[in-house]
Amino acid sequence: MRSFGRRFITGLVAAFCGFALGAGTSQAQEKSRLDEILARGKLVVGVSSESPPFGFVDEKGELVGFDIDVARLIAKATFGDPNKIEFIRQSAAQRWPNAQNGTIDFGAQTTTIYADRAQRVAFTRNYIDGGIVLIVRKDAPFKTLDDLNKPNVTIANLTTPTQEERAKRLFPQAKLQTFDGIASQFNSVKLGRAQAAQLDAPVAAWYVKSNPDMRVMETRLTDVVNTGLFMKPGDFRLWQYFDLVVSEMTGGYLFADYSAIYEKWFGEKPKNAKWYLNNN
Amino acid sequence: MDWSQFGSFAARYLPQLWNGMLVTIAVAALAAPTAVAIGVVLTVPRVAGWRLLSGFVRAYIEVMRNTPLLVQMYLLFFGLPILGIFWDEITCGVLAVSLQHAAFLSELIRSGIAAVSPKQWEAGQAIGMRRWAVFRQIILPQAAIKVMAPVSNQLIVLVKDTSLVSAIGVLDLTLSGKVIIERSGASFEVFILVAALYLILTSVIGAGFRISEARFTRRLG
Repeated sequence: MRSFGRRFITGLVAAFCGFALGAGTSQAQEKSRLDEILARGKLVVGVSSESPPFGFVDEKGELVGFDIDVARLIAKATFGDPNKIEFIRQSAAQRWPNAQNGTIDFGAQTTTIYADRAQRVAFTRNYIDGGIVLIVRKDAPFKTLDDLNKPNVTIANLTTPTQEERAKRLFPQAKLQTFDGIASQFNSVKLGRAQAAQLDAPVAAWYVKSNPDMRVMETRLTDVVNTGLFMKPGDFRLWQYFDLVVSEMTGGYLFADYSAIYEKWFGEKPKNAKWYLNNN
Repeated sequence: MDWSQFGSFAARYLPQLWNGMLVTIAVAALAAPTAVAIGVVLTVPRVAGWRLLSGFVRAYIEVMRNTPLLVQMYLLFFGLPILGIFWDEITCGVLAVSLQHAAFLSELIRSGIAAVSPKQWEAGQAIGMRRWAVFRQIILPQAAIKVMAPVSNQLIVLVKDTSLVSAIGVLDLTLSGKVIIERSGASFEVFILVAALYLILTSVIGAGFRISEARFTRRLG
């Protein structure tokens, strides 16, 4: 009997401790990483260093690109100084654990928004449209997409999920290849192992510029995908803050800065997210 | 990571990983016998004492052992088209794995044969046996017992090295895992599943080797 009484009391104490701990956690959740960032005085951003023109190392050994400049613009909006920022170079597979375990405040890595991904990281709204084009050898006879739907044609894809689905839909008769890097995918076409590769339009333009024996096919694969900044899920104020900054970049007071960055890397002005401002 | 969802996550993606596993098994099943065959052929000139050929074999082994398999694979896959040869990615992958592991296997087999005391050669010849008969009936069985364990080891390394074929676009277990990571954003969960599947595969193969090793030793011992 005595031992039951002791166990009961121990249980009660344990339950109370658990309750107190639970209350403690729920309070801690209200503290946002945003406070930490502001106290720290700089952003920690995960980027790619091997995806021109979004994030890559230039001839001077400096990390440059569209994503790098966008992240600097966010630092400027946050601290008034585009250099209050630290870049963490990460591979495609590394970006998820880096976001989930808090190594980075957010990632800017031309990351397409998919429902599957959004179950594990929080995405801001779209900050640049992704669109896929086909790259082929300059001397290749292909004119329309139908020319590529042949059993003797091989299409080189990236491990990105939509590429395989799109290739199967558009070219059911062609053979498919899958690579885990853009350089391998590109070289496969250049060397004649594959006849066409799906690349992001800006990436394709970049590669063709430095490889005159290649060309981008005029017929576009019409899908548009959205590209978001991504971060650890479950921190509402943090997510809301970056989503708001993105909204201001693509259609608000930061649009002029954003527009200049866009033009610097892609040679044309972006459309304003406020559609009624694009009347030309 | 939320482990309570790991079960349903695994259930959703395991079929896709299983398809990759079958490709890995196929690549290993093609590469392992090829590697052993080439390894044996490479050993012959050195055991037989053919000077010139031994020199070539030694050079081959040095080059193969001292350059990374991944680089050799890239050289085959992206280099052969320049010469007008368009072997597909599985052929290039199997060939690269086989060529490198043959070099290691040849070294193992040669050292196994060398480890049998030279006095046994002399003893065999002293009782009137021919050199080839001595080799076949006295040296080879003892050498075989000596090399079985290291050769099994090497073949398990070979199975794991097949993961490098993912770099040249063979949709094996590793590349299937990378495809799923791209879709789901779950690097850690996927790599755990991938590692578990490799572990199962190599454990089964390892157990198979141990059983056949025991049987073989009993029969010859």
